[in-house]
Amino acid sequence: MTELLIFGIFFAVMAVCLLWRVAKGPTAADRIVAADGADNLLCCAMILFAVFSGRGIYLDIALVGALFGIVDTMLVGRYLEGRL
Amino acid sequence: MQKMRFPAVISTFIVCFAFWVLLTWSFEIQELAAGAVVSLAVALFAGRFFVHTKSFWFFNPVKLVNLIIYVLFIFPVELIKANWDVAKRCFGGCKNVNPGIVKVPVDLESDYGQAMLANSITLTPGTITMDIAEEEGQTYYYIHWIDVTAPSGKEAGDAIKGTLEKGVGRIFK
Amino acid sequence: MALRIVIDLLIAIGLFFALAGTKGIIKMPDAFCRMQASTCISTLGVLCTAIGAVLYAILIMGSIGTAVKIGLIALLILLTNPIGSHSIAKGAYKAGIRPEKEMSVDDYGRDFE
Repeated sequence: MTELLIFGIFFAVMAVCLLWRVAKGPTAADRIVAADGADNLLCCAMILFAVFSGRGIYLDIALVGALFGIVDTMLVGRYLEGRL
Repeated sequence: MQKMRFPAVISTFIVCFAFWVLLTWSFEIQELAAGAVVSLAVALFAGRFFVHTKSFWFFNPVKLVNLIIYVLFIFPVELIKANWDVAKRCFGGCKNVNPGIVKVPVDLESDYGQAMLANSITLTPGTITMDIAEEEGQTYYYIHWIDVTAPSGKEAGDAIKGTLEKGVGRIFK
Repeated sequence: MALRIVIDLLIAIGLFFALAGTKGIIKMPDAFCRMQASTCISTLGVLCTAIGAVLYAILIMGSIGTAVKIGLIALLILLTNPIGSHSIAKGAYKAGIRPEKEMSVDDYGRDFE
């Protein structure tokens, strides 16, 4: 039971580590790649917290996060390509 | 603007309704009726963009079995091999990389098949499909590869695609 | 008890691949290689974690709805990731982002410029 919480904390710590690349990255592509990775890691952490605490509300948050991760990635991609 | 076709609307409606049932996971008659109304509205508007060729290919048992074999057996093997390779490179100091963009010929013809193969190649770590071009009847992919072992052409194609192209070719001609 | 060990092992494998992707994003030398490393997170990292959570939800919690929703999240991430990755790679190349070290083979630049 408790090990799920520990794994979830590991995922969240890795997402925080990726924020360093978001702040530093030389170009826009680096920043958006790191942000996308942090989004996916936070989805994993939300899933683990949901099965740990037995509440379904975290799953809805993870679903919305997964849905909007693709939107911002594609927006920045189209902007860099010059077709927005 | 394409003409609205009835089988396209029906197949889109089935997919939308299945997603509604999976998301709500309750089988009372009121929820099912609300889902049916919303799915029908979505299918009436979006059916013409969602289905371009034959509408009911998904319910053909031979293709369905091929799709299940591809998703459960062929693709995960390539996925695990590529993941292990990239993980070794990441933990090994990130220095032994040799990136490059190669041009690879592809023999599939239908649009769905080309899109599925491109997405499968992008989903395996180590390769990203950047663009699709067509020259003289032959389709080419431009693929960014993290470790170039062969220059463009057939050898690079065999090393990248592996068994994926045959698996996709059995689903979409 | 054996079931708990299997679930923990699956989540630990997911954690390993997510750690590999994180280290790759932070340490890789240029932008395109960082994209390759980030694919590691969103395939096996998410997939193994989701399979472990699905097993936990079905066999220990006993709620099918939670399991179906977790599977849907994993499917959504797995289906939408290649589209974003493709879009970012093409956009970065068109915007003039190049690696510092010259690429050994560059057919895209040869054909389109």
